[in-house]
Amino acid sequence: MEENFKSSEWTASPGEGSEITENRTGRLLGMFWIMAKIGCLTFGGGWSIIGQMQAEFVEKRGWLSQEQIIDFMSLAKSFPGIMIINMSVLCGYAMEGVAGALSAAFGLTAPAILAIGLVTYFYGSLKSNPYVEKVLNGVRCVVIPIILQAAWKLKDKSLTSAVSYGLLAAAFGVCGFTDISKPAVMIVGAALGLLIFRTRRKA
Amino acid sequence: MILLELFLSFMKIGFFSFGGLTMIPVINDEVLVHGWMTAGEVMDIVAVAEMTPGSLGINCATFVGLRTAGIPGALSATLGVMMPSLTLCMAAAHFIMKLKDSPVLESAMSGVRPVSMGMLLAVAVTLSQSTFWAEGAAMSLAGVRWNLVLIAAACGVLLFKFKLSIPKTILLAAVLGLLAG
Repeated sequence: MEENFKSSEWTASPGEGSEITENRTGRLLGMFWIMAKIGCLTFGGGWSIIGQMQAEFVEKRGWLSQEQIIDFMSLAKSFPGIMIINMSVLCGYAMEGVAGALSAAFGLTAPAILAIGLVTYFYGSLKSNPYVEKVLNGVRCVVIPIILQAAWKLKDKSLTSAVSYGLLAAAFGVCGFTDISKPAVMIVGAALGLLIFRTRRKA
Repeated sequence: MILLELFLSFMKIGFFSFGGLTMIPVINDEVLVHGWMTAGEVMDIVAVAEMTPGSLGINCATFVGLRTAGIPGALSATLGVMMPSLTLCMAAAHFIMKLKDSPVLESAMSGVRPVSMGMLLAVAVTLSQSTFWAEGAAMSLAGVRWNLVLIAAACGVLLFKFKLSIPKTILLAAVLGLLAG
């Protein structure tokens, strides 16, 4: 994975320049910084994080694979707690073990803590400000194409056979139109995967 | 002691919820019982969470912690709500990395991946409904907020066709929202 790394991509983060690129501490700091940047822009339920992590860790740096993004996304949504923190822990762990998980999770959380402090302070004036509502409307809109783009990029890795299109359609129906819990849906998916793809491979 | 209480309460909230708005009843249970917030304040924090980056769980924990015990309170409540991720998910990450090359896991994942895609597309549909139709408006063509549909479409073209980066597209969407939201 290391060989895909290009130090020039670090120039966007002043103060943490290219000298920290090769070693582990550098990667950990880098992950914290990237996750903090992502954390500044996770509006609207946080789903845009999938697209952002894909762009930063898969496409730019090659530290994760597209398969890992899909696999971790399904786990993150199936485990209790907060999806975007789960996602950070899983991706961080895959990149640099426990230290990576901590660095990613706290990187993501730091801007939220700072922002809430500020917003709480100014809440009275923000609440009645019509421009805030307008900006938020715009930001909510963009989450939808970001999700669709993330899905588009994951399709080659997840839709590998006719059966998988069937699973996609079924899951879409179940998640979109019923209240069946996500962990249950994922467990059924895993069981069907074992059943269908395992027997196939043996045959 | 208040810091420990905050930590434990929010840890409970973390373990018993699956993020987003499903957290509200669980949050209500904890913070109302402790007298940390009123029901009205919980609704305010949902609005604040919308205005700030980060998830409702983190934002709520920070807000309640800050109000009841200052910055140390904010940190311990936030750490509490992160506990499921830092324990259960950490363990899951460990096992999944160990089993990385297992054919059994790979087969299971071949089933989970398309299911996960289906879920992601369903999320896009649910978000479209809550974004493009005003709250409480009828799900008919007349109720569509076309200005928002246009913003989403414009951002989609920039992302897909012109490969604009996600952060830049989000900032642009904020500007478009200000002009036409």
